[in-house]
Amino acid sequence: MLDEKKDGFRKALREINNLPTLPGIVSKLTKMAEDPDTTTEQMGKVISKDHILAAKLLKLVNSAFYGFPQRISSLDSAIILLGFNVIKSLIISASIFEFMEEQDVELWEHSLGCAVVCSVLAKRLGVSDPEEVSTAGLIHDIGKVAIKMELPKENEMIGQLVTERQISRYEAEQEVLGLQHAEVGGWLAKSWNLPGKLVEPISCHHDPRLAKNEQLASAIVHFSDIVIRGLGYGHADDIWVPPLSQRAWRLLDISPEDLDQVLDEIEEKLWDVKGFSLEIQANTDGAVTS
Amino acid sequence: MARILVVGNGDLISADCRVVLEAKGYQLIFCSELSAAVGVILEDPPDLLIVERGFKGDSDLRLVKVAGSCLQKAFMPILLVVHDSMLPLDWSLFPVDDILRIPFSPEVLLTRLQLAESRMVRLFDNNPLSKLPGNTSIIKAITRVLDSGDRYGVCYVDIDNFKPYNDRYGFSQGDEVILMVARLIVNTVEEIARDGSFVGHVGGDDFVFVVKRDMVDQVCRKILSNFSVVRNIFISPEDLKVGAFIGQDRLGRDTKFELLSISIAVVCTEDNNFKHYGEVSASASQLKSFVKKKSGNNYMIDRRGSYHPVSIPRSDNKDHS
Repeated sequence: MLDEKKDGFRKALREINNLPTLPGIVSKLTKMAEDPDTTTEQMGKVISKDHILAAKLLKLVNSAFYGFPQRISSLDSAIILLGFNVIKSLIISASIFEFMEEQDVELWEHSLGCAVVCSVLAKRLGVSDPEEVSTAGLIHDIGKVAIKMELPKENEMIGQLVTERQISRYEAEQEVLGLQHAEVGGWLAKSWNLPGKLVEPISCHHDPRLAKNEQLASAIVHFSDIVIRGLGYGHADDIWVPPLSQRAWRLLDISPEDLDQVLDEIEEKLWDVKGFSLEIQANTDGAVTS
Repeated sequence: MARILVVGNGDLISADCRVVLEAKGYQLIFCSELSAAVGVILEDPPDLLIVERGFKGDSDLRLVKVAGSCLQKAFMPILLVVHDSMLPLDWSLFPVDDILRIPFSPEVLLTRLQLAESRMVRLFDNNPLSKLPGNTSIIKAITRVLDSGDRYGVCYVDIDNFKPYNDRYGFSQGDEVILMVARLIVNTVEEIARDGSFVGHVGGDDFVFVVKRDMVDQVCRKILSNFSVVRNIFISPEDLKVGAFIGQDRLGRDTKFELLSISIAVVCTEDNNFKHYGEVSASASQLKSFVKKKSGNNYMIDRRGSYHPVSIPRSDNKDHS
């Protein structure tokens, strides 16, 4: 891979400023914003179920203008600090997928599912701020959206490689771009001034050995990504379940009995998420036909 | 140099105007979509906004409202570009600062922009950190509610243990805490009690907000509970573990301080029959010394000389399930 070409990709990806969201989510939030009885918390709950809006919210609250650079990693706090009016404006500024494909919905479901698994695991492992890990899980694949939007041609080539050669998306990205979505997501998070506690788990979710300060959070996101793929919940544009890092597995130190319990808890929580997903997709169909 | 966001159709600013403005060092950003324009205002707010009346249906109105509703940016002058045929307009619906009549020459445009900028500087009574109105506006706001004869609560907020916190964590993090509290107050007041309300920054860690009497409890509770959600972000893991920190008191002796909390002293206007704002602030400082003696997040309402303290249970262990 020519370094020059790779630098070109990097440059294109770095300049991204508006990633598209699912129309169903935006139309739900628009309706909520128009209702005078809607509270900030209610809107926050919906935003915390969307990887793109959650990333935008964190980008905003950590921007130099709002005055808390690299400080805010929790969506609850971001919502309290930004307030109802800014959140409403964020919804107006949201861009929507022009042509939404099934993959976009799948990736969204995968992200949301991953956040659920992260939250269950983080609580079980006694992490001091489980919400933070769950947020990292929600936005861990943001690099995939960026690649799709900024490099559509290359993204198609990656898709073809995956089907033709039956390789993982990660490998195909490496071959076509010389970089992969975890790295891309990590840069984006960093350039948006997000705290290191979110940046590392995103950039290291395929190779948690690379994590320096956030080893446990990175291991949790890594393992959750695998669990949610294994459960067949949203395919994240990949035909394979990613390989498990031995070191991450040792770090998590979960016994098979514990794992059974964790899986039961996850399955239960995923029911709620599935309900929400159906609602959003119904909303989307309505938005397209109307 | 000043950045100007121009929102409307492509030919809103003529090539001549553009050359003149850019020669004067203005940086122009053009948007023809509402969502993109809102994005710029949110993420990288300009110093001035020029909007075309009637652009994309009611997009002009929606944009002006967004700019006005994000309170921290309420000091961005907004110029509305209009045809004479569109006048008169209902200015209560259009919170703009000036109009530009089509056609306009580069000289007129430049003069209007410079005038808008200098007017902003002149009217600026705001705290440079929080951008909230300062003392002159606070006195005006309190006088207004006293004159109205309606029942209002004048609420004095301050941050407990702020001085030792500043010594320990440094000024820049102290500033972040002040900014955080400013946002909490503004956002809560805007959400629950917008009508007739006011938020001001006395200076340092002291704030004042004014809301209708029947909203006082709800607003105070919400500010205190939101504070307990956000506060821990600004405290180191070591101090959180101990739940306190060692600092030096005013005499330089080592003292154990509790982590940051908020106290609110509320004075009710009608109940006390105040005539002058000085009586309000005197009554408040007396009340403040009571509420600050209690540990943790508290607010206290003064009803005709009798104090009613309310403590808010601390929620240090966050559970979002």
